Amino acid sequence: MLVHLQGPWTPLLGRLTLQQIPFHVPILVVTFIVVAILAAMVLAATTYFGKWGYLWREWLTTVDHKKIGVMYILLGLVMLLRGFADALMIRTQQAMAVGPGSPGEMGAVHGYLTPFHLGQIFTAHGLIMVVFAATPLLVGLMNIIVPLQIGARDMAYPYLNALGLWLTTAGAALVMMSLFVGNFAHGGWYGFVPYFELPYSPGVGVDYWMWTFQLSAIGTSLGSINLIATIVKMRAPGMTWMRMPMFTWASLSTNLIALTSFPVLMVALALLGLDRYVGTHFYTAGMGGNLMLYNDLFWVWGHPEVYFLILPAFGIMSEIIPTFSEKTLFGYVTMVIASFAIGGVSWGVWLHHFFTMAAAPSVNSFYSVTTMLVGIPTGVKVFNWVFTMYRGRVRYELPMLWALLALFLLLVGGMTGMMNAFASNDYMWHNGLFVVAHFHMMVLVIAASIFGAVEYWFPKVFGFKLEQKWGKWFFWFMIIGTGWTFVPMFFLGFAGMTRRLDYIPYTQWSPYLHIMLVGMVFYVVAVLFFVAHLYVSLRDRVKNRVGADAWGTGRSLEWMTHSPVPAYNYAFIPHVNVLDEWAWRKENGLTELHPGDYEGIHMPKNTGVPLFLGMLFMGLGFALIWRIWWLALLCVALIVALIIIRSFDRDTDMTIPAHTVEQVESGARDETSVAMPTAGVRGGTVIAHSILQSGTSGISGSTTSTSPSLAPMDR
Amino acid sequence: MVLPPALLTLGGCSNNGLYLLKPEGLISHTFYHYFILDVVIMLLIIVPTTLLTIWAMWRYRKGGKGSYDPAWSHSNAIEAIVWGIPLVTVGVLSYLSVKAIYDVNPYNPGVIAKAQKVDGGDSVEVDVIATDWRWLFIYPQQHIASVNQLVVPVGTPVKFRLTSTSVVNDFLIPQLVGMIDVMPGMRTKQALVADKAGTYIGFSADYSGAGLSWMHFQTKAVSAAQFAQWVKSTQQSPQHLSYAGFNRFAKPYIAVGGDQQTFGKVQPGLFDYVIGEVMHGKVWRTPMAMTENMVNYMQKQRAEQKAGDY
Amino acid sequence: MSASAAQKVDPAHATLWARHYAGHDMIGTRTFGFWLYMLTDAMVYAALFATLGVLSHVVNLAGGPSSSAFINPVYAYGQTITLFLSVLIYGYSMVALKNGNRGGVIGGMFVAMLLGVVYLVISGIDIGNMFAHGIFPQVSGFLSIFFTIIIYHALHIIVGVVWMLVMMIQVAREGFSANVVYRLINLRLFWHFQAVIWVFVFAFVYLQGIVA
Repeated sequence: MLVHLQGPWTPLLGRLTLQQIPFHVPILVVTFIVVAILAAMVLAATTYFGKWGYLWREWLTTVDHKKIGVMYILLGLVMLLRGFADALMIRTQQAMAVGPGSPGEMGAVHGYLTPFHLGQIFTAHGLIMVVFAATPLLVGLMNIIVPLQIGARDMAYPYLNALGLWLTTAGAALVMMSLFVGNFAHGGWYGFVPYFELPYSPGVGVDYWMWTFQLSAIGTSLGSINLIATIVKMRAPGMTWMRMPMFTWASLSTNLIALTSFPVLMVALALLGLDRYVGTHFYTAGMGGNLMLYNDLFWVWGHPEVYFLILPAFGIMSEIIPTFSEKTLFGYVTMVIASFAIGGVSWGVWLHHFFTMAAAPSVNSFYSVTTMLVGIPTGVKVFNWVFTMYRGRVRYELPMLWALLALFLLLVGGMTGMMNAFASNDYMWHNGLFVVAHFHMMVLVIAASIFGAVEYWFPKVFGFKLEQKWGKWFFWFMIIGTGWTFVPMFFLGFAGMTRRLDYIPYTQWSPYLHIMLVGMVFYVVAVLFFVAHLYVSLRDRVKNRVGADAWGTGRSLEWMTHSPVPAYNYAFIPHVNVLDEWAWRKENGLTELHPGDYEGIHMPKNTGVPLFLGMLFMGLGFALIWRIWWLALLCVALIVALIIIRSFDRDTDMTIPAHTVEQVESGARDETSVAMPTAGVRGGTVIAHSILQSGTSGISGSTTSTSPSLAPMDR
Repeated sequence: MVLPPALLTLGGCSNNGLYLLKPEGLISHTFYHYFILDVVIMLLIIVPTTLLTIWAMWRYRKGGKGSYDPAWSHSNAIEAIVWGIPLVTVGVLSYLSVKAIYDVNPYNPGVIAKAQKVDGGDSVEVDVIATDWRWLFIYPQQHIASVNQLVVPVGTPVKFRLTSTSVVNDFLIPQLVGMIDVMPGMRTKQALVADKAGTYIGFSADYSGAGLSWMHFQTKAVSAAQFAQWVKSTQQSPQHLSYAGFNRFAKPYIAVGGDQQTFGKVQPGLFDYVIGEVMHGKVWRTPMAMTENMVNYMQKQRAEQKAGDY
Repeated sequence: MSASAAQKVDPAHATLWARHYAGHDMIGTRTFGFWLYMLTDAMVYAALFATLGVLSHVVNLAGGPSSSAFINPVYAYGQTITLFLSVLIYGYSMVALKNGNRGGVIGGMFVAMLLGVVYLVISGIDIGNMFAHGIFPQVSGFLSIFFTIIIYHALHIIVGVVWMLVMMIQVAREGFSANVVYRLINLRLFWHFQAVIWVFVFAFVYLQGIVA
């Protein structure tokens, strides 16, 4: 104990006591029971079907960028659902707790959630959606697609890649743990000082928030190092800078942002941690601290982070729209410049997150203008997408629908963004719902792009298309839900309603709040449609099998290898001659993918070390949250030891022999032309059988001895 | 998809409660003026772009009548237009934005300075202290204070100095003036002129803890004579506020019923005293029992603090 | 643009596949990544120095001592000399690497590591002295960032020392395998980087502190 703590502390268990388990909150108890039953079912099913070995060999220890990407996306989807559940609770509470006469249930004065409980929910909602849903989804997509698009066999650092995944997962696991052990921060996802200092947030909630955030920040920084190095160093021969696909450009730009901004977040959080753990005075109001410093440090990361999320979304749109317009992207060079312009400007706008913090009018003017500058390259991008459709042959398949939805949402989000950048407007609604509605428009741009990307690249990763019927229901219900939820929210913004209220004193606002509930109902139905969409797609996977070029009009390198992609991506590394290489080859009839004799391929071996490191970091986070010092020291010691032991491991690589490559390749070639074998052999990642698995399981002796199957990932 | 809720919101509730669209003060009027300009200019770009997009989507659909030219991907003229339009728009909006920022600058709003130059006349000073979770308005010229109720004379500039005892709050009266952060150990400023007599809602806009939702106050804009009358009657109030009394007053308290209160006499310099105390490390900490179980605490604190005068 | 470029390539004579592709240069890729890592660490330092700038006003002393009152330049000077000497000797060890001289690499690294330990001892004595005089990070905002920067830098030196220890063993066991060589190169970057950072720490924390 280095600082004064409210509540008990013991050397053995730190602040952890039995009272920290929220038996008295019925919502959490029910949630816990549901989660426990689900977890038990999953574990039982894994055991029953004898899938532990498969899970360990093919997934938990993998260093294959595609599988890591898939796991990132699964993590993102699970957390997206959690964040959505939080959103439902916020909306319900606000619709119930309007006016002094509104009833209170379950111990709350108004509505059914106490302020403390609701505070945790909206903090978790924001943090999860930004850091544990959108970020993993996009990082996962970049992980899968970038190496394919540049003709590489793997990422530059496959081992680091797995480590990034498991660190992010460790953070997400801690967020989930805060539901049932202790509590989460109650104050808003970006943290407030001095509100998040120990005197005003005496519980463990802020510590949970801080360490989960920190873990994911470390994970994402490692990921960005990896992606930049991959793009810079691993491009196939002939792929010059100006032959790179737009999504790769967007990934490069976005990861440069991440690389330079995430360290600042780590500092912002670490200094808050020192305040809370050691009693320093970085952000305190008194004793020489400066609370405005936190806002600066946080948003120096926070705003680039926003573009870290939106740039890959733009990249996705730039891939989907040309494919389904059957035409080259309009203004490729301009698009590249615009991507980097957005990335560059993102560094000079952070002050608009606290226009109301009484900076001089000259300072606010500067940041108001720089913020508006973002509108220029963004506007250019919108026009370029429209002119890509111009003189095209636009096919409205699901990926294209999502991309166009993203385009329209971007128009709304962009317009309202320009309204926020206008500082005199912002003074009126800075912490209000207008801003909330605006950035939800923007994150829905990201969400729509992600759904589009999942539809678009799913056949590349799994070898079959997602079905269209339920997907379209999902799509339309998402749109209706968005309209019914966010139009009233813009109006509430004009009402001057502010964020994070658990009780709304003014009854005039209740109609809007009730209309928003209708929107939430549509969203709930949309989620059900999404589940049906996945279920039907998995069921009909044999029917929906596709070949290498799943959509028929693919343009870039990833469509030049089998769907699903073999472990080594390309049996032969393509030599790139032009931008849109695959489209060019198709035009000239050069579509043969098997030019001759196969060679052995050098690949990294699987390893369990990143998973163990992730677990140890989770243990470290848990120990620090509860101030169990001995456990923290133990985890640090084990982490250092494990890293050093791994560095002595010489057996980290393997060579896939030429005959195996030939076997896999001819298998993949036959299967795209001949009728499919029965279901169960090929298909969904999680439920599929491994037919080509070889070697032993478990880690015996060396830390890297598991042998994955070499075949495409769904075998 | 978007129309039904829009119509419903407009039709079902008229513009009742849309406070930002019903400005009643000089600052909020200025905001409204620029806001409309901003929206109109943006719509001039957004609407044609939307129409263009829909046209391209329809015209160039597969099987449609549009010509097909898969290699067409560059045009200098179009490039010039797509860079030019956003550039010009942003240029115009930037100019307006900077002008607006100076006009409503909280520390010295251009519009109020201009009005004062024309009309002359004094302004009313109010020192605002945000506690967890109440608003204390001190009138240093009149040596009185009021809790959760701000009374201002119509047509007279009101100049605020603001600070907080514990965490950051945000001072907002939607129909009169925009937000300004209220920060502990620091002093910020704000200014407003109310155009019309009436009662306006005001609240904290920045999350400050469990009691935030109850941290609202009434702003009464009254005639000069009524204001003088109010000051006089308040000065008769037997309750006084000293430095020591303030230390008790500033303890976390949730004003569930609005809890207005007045002080007939306030120890001079209380505002600066609070800033100094906070800077030297004074902390009114929130008890864990309060953050984590507000409802019980609320009942307890009511029993304790009801009787106390400060 | 792209389409016209596409026309220029003659499909009949284009190379379509990179046969016998040797793969990328492993050492170069690893080193590049390490540069990227150092960029992130540089950003951490940038944020810390920015914090130092923000928290260096009179109000941030909160009645506590200013750095001119307690900084002992002799210690900082000693740290400078040992760290730069260590970097120099690590450089000699890299020369030995070029010559393929295992003993030279290990010997040089051993001396560099010892100097790193000496640096840490000096730093420890310096900080210990301050603590003994009641100068703690908890005293004021300024002292918070002051100690944070010097301790964060010292942590890097500890990492460097441990890393050198590991590398000496690896060189002895494995000789100059690709894995060992890229790690030696990265460690060189790391160690030089600490010296560069020290220049900033010395200038902005110590020298400026004494002058101010």
